[in-house]
Amino acid sequence: MKPVYITGASAISPQPTFDRDDLEKVVAYDTHPLNVIVPDITGYVDPNRVRRMTRHTRIGLMAALNALKRADVKEPSAVIMGTGDGCKDSVARFLDNMIDHDETVANPTAFIGSTHNSLAGQIAMAVNSKAYNYTYLQRGLSFSSALMDGLMHVGSEDARNVLVGAADVITPDFYITHRRTGLWKNHAVKNLEVLNSTDNGALAGEGSAFFVLDSEPGKNAVEILGVDAFFKPGEVHVKDRAEKLFAKNNRTLNDVDLVLLGYNGDHTQDRAYDTVRAQFPNATIACYKPLFGEFYTANALGVWMGYSAIRSGSIPKEIAMQGRSSGGFKNVLIYDHYQLKDHVLVGLGAV
Amino acid sequence: MNNTVHISGLGIISAIGNDVATNLDALLNERTGIAPITRLQTRHSELYPAAEVKLSDEDLGILANPRSMHGWTRTALLGLKAVKEALAHAGVDPQQPRVGFISASTAGGMDKSEPIYKQLFDDELPDDVAQYVGTHDPGEHAERIAAELGITGFLTNISTACSSSANAIMLGSRMIKSGQLDVVIAGGADALSRFTVNGFHSLMILDKEPCRPFDASRTGLNLGEAAAYVILESDVHLKARNAKSLARVTGYANRNEAFHVTASSPEGDGALHAMEDALNVAQLKPEAISYINVHGTGTSNNDGSEGRALQRLFGNSIPSFSSTKTFTGHTLGAAGAVEAVYATLAIQHNVCFANLRFTDPMPEAAVTPVWHTLRDQRIEHVLSNSFGFGGNNSSLVISAP
Repeated sequence: MKPVYITGASAISPQPTFDRDDLEKVVAYDTHPLNVIVPDITGYVDPNRVRRMTRHTRIGLMAALNALKRADVKEPSAVIMGTGDGCKDSVARFLDNMIDHDETVANPTAFIGSTHNSLAGQIAMAVNSKAYNYTYLQRGLSFSSALMDGLMHVGSEDARNVLVGAADVITPDFYITHRRTGLWKNHAVKNLEVLNSTDNGALAGEGSAFFVLDSEPGKNAVEILGVDAFFKPGEVHVKDRAEKLFAKNNRTLNDVDLVLLGYNGDHTQDRAYDTVRAQFPNATIACYKPLFGEFYTANALGVWMGYSAIRSGSIPKEIAMQGRSSGGFKNVLIYDHYQLKDHVLVGLGAV
Repeated sequence: MNNTVHISGLGIISAIGNDVATNLDALLNERTGIAPITRLQTRHSELYPAAEVKLSDEDLGILANPRSMHGWTRTALLGLKAVKEALAHAGVDPQQPRVGFISASTAGGMDKSEPIYKQLFDDELPDDVAQYVGTHDPGEHAERIAAELGITGFLTNISTACSSSANAIMLGSRMIKSGQLDVVIAGGADALSRFTVNGFHSLMILDKEPCRPFDASRTGLNLGEAAAYVILESDVHLKARNAKSLARVTGYANRNEAFHVTASSPEGDGALHAMEDALNVAQLKPEAISYINVHGTGTSNNDGSEGRALQRLFGNSIPSFSSTKTFTGHTLGAAGAVEAVYATLAIQHNVCFANLRFTDPMPEAAVTPVWHTLRDQRIEHVLSNSFGFGGNNSSLVISAP
């Protein structure tokens, strides 16, 4: 397999991450769910089209187009995305209408919008891509599926300039129904203090991140050393799997200088990260979900944070849990689990 | 390295049968599954026929036999039943580390979330409602089936509208070819729901009569429900355990049309490119194809566009082709896998299945499908098309072992 590089990235999140590779100033919130800071769309999408777009489509399309711009790519050779719950805003609109009117009022626009691959289709239309176009919906494995597919395209199948990304929004319906399952904290919480919690339930959030993958490094590149993603209820041997991932790139775990962990404020779930943290005494340990919140594809923003750390040489000091927050990073491990079931490891390396 | 991708097991449940054998029997004997809606509670049940699996959720649960019935949606039960059949057929253990599960669904657990949707916001939920909270997303059925069967390797789910499970088979084939997995359970599941009936009703593309793909008189599609899975296996793994290959996945392609959010271009550009690319991957010329299981939904737009694409690719010598949606209805996320199972059966039994209810060719593309079962055919390579909203066009080439 050929080496695969990220040659451009874009993130839209509850932090000012858009159209840059670093996060200069962290925004503190007093309550959750955290909502994205929607960037100015001028120059990206026809404003008349944007008015009809759901938030999911809007932020995904913006992040996708911005990642292409930052990688200086006009037309990607594939559009591959992951979303845990797709176009749930359109689905809710359609269901409300169907039930309230007892199936007597048709709503074709909401139905079309509720097709989960509609965002990937919109991205293809915006850049006139007539190529491969996939959408994965597998909860916490949605983004990693897209990333593995992209790696296969570039690393094994000779594709260039593959667009890979994720987008998930939080809607009031989704927040309420999933608070019932115990997923979210049912009280206000300060995002930057959420890891001090001793109760269960995560900080809820949303966001989108897109990446351009290529086999040539170019000038802004970060190498993807590997992705290991799998479904396994319960804790897993992260260290062994990370060791294998880095060994394929002739590196050991001693070379890892930054470990980004998916701490989300849920006391029970976060214990799995404590185990991993203890295994990297010499590396910087940092979290990212206090910035972005928990959602199915939050690990895409974890990967963006890893990319950002290598590109800019630093991470916000607010998220450093152990070790230094600046001075450059060369090898980054991101480990994320969704509800202790969907496990994702991603290795990134400086070029 | 021999990177052949074999199909070593099949599993299916559809309106024409609860397993592979009954599906084959119905296909050969031209028994359609399209009938008046009896199970789904919808205002439109007298207006439109559909292809329902003729089992209540309870009976389906007995058949699929999960350890506990708690929280199983109809989509997940359909999926479990078909996955179990495919695994038993192939004789592979899903708990090996290099086994992947790649499912597909468009509506996921919608069949259970739509009746409880308005109750979700109540303060207290009775257990018959509470068990389905959090079963709505399309990936839920895949996770549930993986947990039930102890699959702890690669797991994912694709949702690209009506091409979803063809894309699952394509991804599984690529992952075996690139050496990442030895065995992949690939397919999809979608239960009929009020959501999809009302959605397609709102687009005005449902036929009030049993559908007539490629016929001049066609006025739309009939919805169906199904689950279907194939076991994909690497050559090394298959030979090491002395297993039998039923067929091979030799070609695949996915192409976006970037033409319209739902419609296909009138000249079938996306369909043409997907078929051409799949033939290129298979290293085959068009004349090598013995049978095409077309997408053939019965809508004016799809069949006109797909008919033009067939004419452009094959000229005057279009191979035998048919839409088996005349039996199963359009099963959305399951359709590509349903038709991949049928393509494999066509190879195994040397048949082309019928495109029921065809009488007159379309004026915009006068192509004539097979209208009765053709037996004693030599079926070497089958092309199977699945096209979806968002301009998502996929083609698979399935070849004799």
